[in-house]
Amino acid sequence: MTSFGDRILGLGLLVLAVAYGWAAQQWPEPFGGAETVGPETFPTMLAVVLVAGSLYLMIKPDPDAQWPVGKSAVELLISLVVLVVYTLLLEPLGFVIATTLAVGTLSWRMGAAPRPAFLTGLLSAVVVFVLFNYGLSLSLPAGLLEVH
Amino acid sequence: METLGFLMDGFAVALTPYNLMFALFGAFVGTLIGCLPGLGPANGVAILIPLAFTLGLPPETAMILLTAVYAGAMYGGRISSILLNIPGDEPAMMTCLDGYPMAQKGRAADALAVSAIASFAGGLIGTIGLIMLAPVLAKFALTFGPAEYFALFLLAFATLGGITGKNPMKTVVAATLGIMISTVGIDISTGTQRYTFGVLELYEGIDFILAIVGLFAISELLFFVESRMGRGRDKMNVGKLTLTMKELMMTIPTQLRGGVLGFISGVLPGAGASLGSFISYTLEKQVVGKKGKFGEGDIRGVVAPEAGNNGASSGALVPMLTLGVPGSGTTAVLLAMLISLNITPGPLMFTQNADIVWGVIAALLIGNVLLLVLNIPLVGFFVKLLSVPPMYLLPIVTMVAFVGIYSISHSTFDLYFMVAFGVAGYFLRKLEIPLVPIILGLLLGPEMEKNLGHALVLSDGDWSVLWASPLAMGLWIVAGLGLILPYLVGPLLRRRMNAAMKESPVSD
Repeated sequence: MTSFGDRILGLGLLVLAVAYGWAAQQWPEPFGGAETVGPETFPTMLAVVLVAGSLYLMIKPDPDAQWPVGKSAVELLISLVVLVVYTLLLEPLGFVIATTLAVGTLSWRMGAAPRPAFLTGLLSAVVVFVLFNYGLSLSLPAGLLEVH
Repeated sequence: METLGFLMDGFAVALTPYNLMFALFGAFVGTLIGCLPGLGPANGVAILIPLAFTLGLPPETAMILLTAVYAGAMYGGRISSILLNIPGDEPAMMTCLDGYPMAQKGRAADALAVSAIASFAGGLIGTIGLIMLAPVLAKFALTFGPAEYFALFLLAFATLGGITGKNPMKTVVAATLGIMISTVGIDISTGTQRYTFGVLELYEGIDFILAIVGLFAISELLFFVESRMGRGRDKMNVGKLTLTMKELMMTIPTQLRGGVLGFISGVLPGAGASLGSFISYTLEKQVVGKKGKFGEGDIRGVVAPEAGNNGASSGALVPMLTLGVPGSGTTAVLLAMLISLNITPGPLMFTQNADIVWGVIAALLIGNVLLLVLNIPLVGFFVKLLSVPPMYLLPIVTMVAFVGIYSISHSTFDLYFMVAFGVAGYFLRKLEIPLVPIILGLLLGPEMEKNLGHALVLSDGDWSVLWASPLAMGLWIVAGLGLILPYLVGPLLRRRMNAAMKESPVSD
């Protein structure tokens, strides 16, 4: 059993803790002189705790989890891209179109047949859009479908 | 009898048609959340927060809605335990032991009905306990100074992993990360910009709601994508109800024992609902002794853990409402709602926002009745939903999470942030870093810093003030134990829990 996961995490956290603690020492002294508790006191304490925690993780790491390789990793990446692209297109394309595409693609990638997947996407998009815009009067972007 | 008067006022709040409607809606949605695959209670409540927020619900209504969801989720968790031998949420694990064998013997309908009644009894006992204990504890908490609060927050973090937690050090790391995130933004007392890197969106700090939704909802989606469990399950047949009155009467002592034990473990730091249902089940087994057929579908084996976990879920509200220190993931999310409603949780809430506190407590009582009424006739409907494949469900849930976050600020910047939190949540979960301490850190971080500052100002910079009073010292000691005990007792308890799971003849 390997335990690289925790070691890498510990290393990352150590770097983070040191950077975080160092940044806290760089702030200018607040107006009115230094008090016992300045803006840097609490972050400094946190940095110390995290340094200790990260060292512990590196010295006594737990065994590694099963990391996704090959196809699973690709699927994960695809899902992530879908989420980012969804955010990107939400305003320009409008809620209904963007959601149909996003929910459809996700369902399809999770194992549904393409047709029911995109139908689910369309249906849920329309229902949520109508519910929000007319039922709850919260405006979601209409995008391309906007009626001028 | 002052309490009774407050409770009556609470009922006056909770029984208005508007609030009653939201309680009913919450109870229904909560049961759904509890029984649907891949939607834990904390996750479900988190997704609903932005919605409650943007709907502009008055604070008491928003809290009633979410509390009803919380109570409902505890009811819902049992359905898949009984029918599929897969716990809908963690506390429902023990319900599998006798619930599934009962279903296999064709008594699924009975198991569902009796567990609904047990959930009701547990919830009722827990809520009564909450009504009696909360005002007393709130009064006591008024004597806390900043140093005591600081120690109390430490205690909350230290015990969050629970006695059965695997690696307390990871809880510490997680909590520290959460508090660190909460320090981003402009420092309240001095106006210093901290970790903003000049990004305008960071000046006000990182909104914990989007962090919570990202950590829970998005990482859950990613987990499902990875494990490829998109396919639905087969349709279940529940069968006919054959439960007799006599059988039901026989389980009453079990219900009482389970409810009380559950409540106690809900209140205590570090125990929680899972341990509550475990203790109730184990004790029941010992009390009944050889006469019972535990593990083979004994009806009391279904009643005990269900009464236990519902009692515990009400018990867990005690520290959240009186001290502002939640002991579980879902109560942490409820706390997030309170804070974003600009209500300072803690003992003062009982005097300053009495209508909200007592409205919530009354709603919990009403919610339990509603849930019982909902759960018996509608069980067939909920069972149908169990066969909804996650491959359709999770994308839709994710979309609802996006909509919720978007509707708060109408900025896509927040959405990117949420996705980033989701990815971080995925990696942290993979590395077995618990997410709940991160969230608690986000929520309590600012309060902790404030109390530290106050304590040190009062003592003129003398750090020993933090553990000077006996009460603060006691809290430090319990916090220390909370970190050490899992190493000593944890492996033993965990082994026992696993052994109990394996003993059951049907473990597939």
